[in-house]
Amino acid sequence: MTIKEFKLPDIGEGIAEGEIVSWKVTPGQQVKEEDEFVEVMTDKATVMITVPYDGVIKELTCKEGDVVPVESVIARIEVGATADSPAASTATAVSSGVSSGTSAAATAPAPAAPVSVPAPAAFVQASPGKVLAAPATRRRAREMGIDLHAVKGSGPRGRITNEDLSGVAAQPSRSAPAAATSAPRAAVSLPAPPPGVREERRPFRGMRRKIAEAMSRSKQTAAHFTYVDDINVGKLVALRTEAKQQYADSGINITYLPFIMKAVVAGMKQFPDMNSALDEAANEFVVKHYYNFGIATDTEQGLVVPVIKDVDQKSIAQLALELQELAAATREGRVGIDQLQGGTFTITNAGNIGGLFATPVINFPEVAILGVHAIKNTPVINAAGEVEAGKVMYLSVSIDHRLVDGATGARWMNVIKDCLENPTRLLLGSV
Amino acid sequence: MAAPTRKKKKSPGKKSEATASGAQLLSVLNDDGSAVIGGDPGLAKETLLSLYEWMVRTREFDRRMLMLQRQGRIGFYGPILGQEAATVGSVAALDGEDWIFPALREGAAALMRGLPLREAIAQLIGNEMDRCKGRQMPCHYTYKEGHYYGMSSVIGTQISHAVGAAMAAKIRGDKAVIAGYLGDGATSSNDFHAGMNFAGVYRVPLVMICQNNQWAISVPASKQSASETIAIKAEAYGMPSMRVDGNDVLAVYQATRQAAERARRGDGPTFLELVTYRRLGHSSSDDPSKYRDEEEVKAWEKRDPVDRFRRYLSGKKLWNKAKEEALNQDIADEVNAAIKAAEAAGPCAPETLITDVFAEPTEQLREQFAQVEEVNREQTGEFPL
Repeated sequence: MTIKEFKLPDIGEGIAEGEIVSWKVTPGQQVKEEDEFVEVMTDKATVMITVPYDGVIKELTCKEGDVVPVESVIARIEVGATADSPAASTATAVSSGVSSGTSAAATAPAPAAPVSVPAPAAFVQASPGKVLAAPATRRRAREMGIDLHAVKGSGPRGRITNEDLSGVAAQPSRSAPAAATSAPRAAVSLPAPPPGVREERRPFRGMRRKIAEAMSRSKQTAAHFTYVDDINVGKLVALRTEAKQQYADSGINITYLPFIMKAVVAGMKQFPDMNSALDEAANEFVVKHYYNFGIATDTEQGLVVPVIKDVDQKSIAQLALELQELAAATREGRVGIDQLQGGTFTITNAGNIGGLFATPVINFPEVAILGVHAIKNTPVINAAGEVEAGKVMYLSVSIDHRLVDGATGARWMNVIKDCLENPTRLLLGSV
Repeated sequence: MAAPTRKKKKSPGKKSEATASGAQLLSVLNDDGSAVIGGDPGLAKETLLSLYEWMVRTREFDRRMLMLQRQGRIGFYGPILGQEAATVGSVAALDGEDWIFPALREGAAALMRGLPLREAIAQLIGNEMDRCKGRQMPCHYTYKEGHYYGMSSVIGTQISHAVGAAMAAKIRGDKAVIAGYLGDGATSSNDFHAGMNFAGVYRVPLVMICQNNQWAISVPASKQSASETIAIKAEAYGMPSMRVDGNDVLAVYQATRQAAERARRGDGPTFLELVTYRRLGHSSSDDPSKYRDEEEVKAWEKRDPVDRFRRYLSGKKLWNKAKEEALNQDIADEVNAAIKAAEAAGPCAPETLITDVFAEPTEQLREQFAQVEEVNREQTGEFPL
């Protein structure tokens, strides 16, 4: 009986990895070609893979929720075996339950059979002494003066790729090329809880994992700094209260957000760098002359950022209506993919929940994100130098310091402050 | 987009010649499998059964190939589920000498013309059994002996190729008619205008067959064109056209037959819009759930071309459950055997890397190949050549 390895195929023309969504077989199970095997989610789609051979499932080498690189072995199948043959009875199970879906994940994995996802760097070189590399890569290495024996390849079977060479070149010293490939951080594994207490385990995948990846990438790439200012919104509150009544009949709920969006556009017109992104591959600073604002929206599944396009070209009432419709669509899960793309800047509104100010995480690769906070009744000092009851709101902006310096961010915030404290400016516009 | 049921008119099945307006939908089969009054083309029993068998074979081949792709056994695949009638009906209505210029979803035409299943699968693998020697993307079959032209991937280019071939056929005085296929997306290409214009002006022996499957990858037909139908576009080129129920194999057969006869008589080109629906993704790399509603797919499932035609055959007492089971088994065996045979073939010889571009490989090519071989020797068994 031969055991065949099943490697995760490239099911979508050029994908790098896939997430195991659910196994449809268990170790020891007799299978036929065409039986459902495993459901895999890639950047492009979630697809069902069927079993390629008749035989018995010998081993599943990764768990549901694992993200595995294409071409890594995810299962072993004993071809032609039957379930009751002696060889098949030694089938080994993966650490946590694989057949009973998410509920199985509630039990802590037994420490005896840890399954680690083979990260690209973990591929073992085919044989010591020989170096795998395409002719073009060899030539490039010669030109760069890099000894291929000292490079750790990240390709299949340890093959050295052009990217690996770039990694070596990027190191300050070539004397230590072993450090060229950054070893992936070892996954933290939590021990089983002490007796008598209860823990719950939920799969870390799907949307939660996507959010996690986006946030980590932003924090690890953008050089965040946060700038906070208070805005005396007394006049804006009066204006909005009046507008709310005037539009009540037309079913449009006029909120503060459209005014703030317009003020942000005014700030960007004066400081265009605040509406930009860095094209790292091209080494170019891309300033956007269109104003598409993502609105961070809280849903049951997690954070979603639908985009309002061309904010500069829409009236405050139009923006209010669009926000209203988009919020409903987002919460009901009706928001289309085109409504989630193309943002140039993001606004996160925590004003209705509470708090004073925050340090928002940039929606990378955008350059900045604005946090909008609750309007509070606060004593303020008026023009005559007297203390009076006022309405004050904090705005926090996190900016990528790689692209924009503090002074620019502060001046940009001053424009917004000026617009919101004197909202007639928003209505009349600039000359 | 209009639901498919709204597109169907109650009695459009008249055997009219192609109309210039192209707004009416030609349909023969009712949903219950009966033929509309006066619409049955009265084909011989053998022809009817052969149409059905090819539709079933096409569907099984398609199902298995998508599965092989998911298992990593072939490169990629462009499924045709739900469009079987369009290819099978139109190809069956042509003469064997007629040339086929396919687009992405007419692979079944090559099989109907005699390309062995195992060679089609070898093309998807790209091994030594593949006529393209692994140099073409999967689904880009070629079969010269069967007058099936190798397809170019670029949208709309097939139109120019087909029209060019039709002009050549006319100049040479060939009897052959050219069938040129395109999708709804290709009607927005430059080649569409150039090709249609030449075809109209030179009155070439051509049948342009547009499989309007409602989706050009993620672009719906409603965003493809502001025209009321695709068929009416032909009017601008002085070409008669017909709008045909593409999930009705008899209507497709009948319309293609008329158009081909017209071309053979020397009366010039005809444009056919086959209204159908792509039920799966554009290719194995596409996820249609990201851009379209599942309800729409469900509505079209009810108009499945294979089911409709099976009901027609059953109604004529030409088909029953026992025959269905026997056919399914035969075809499953046939496809399985073909997969085995195709997978048994080895990879293309490394030398084929430098052959076929020049009659004799140039000095430079030979030198480069020697370098490749050198590397290969250094890494015997580890470099996949």
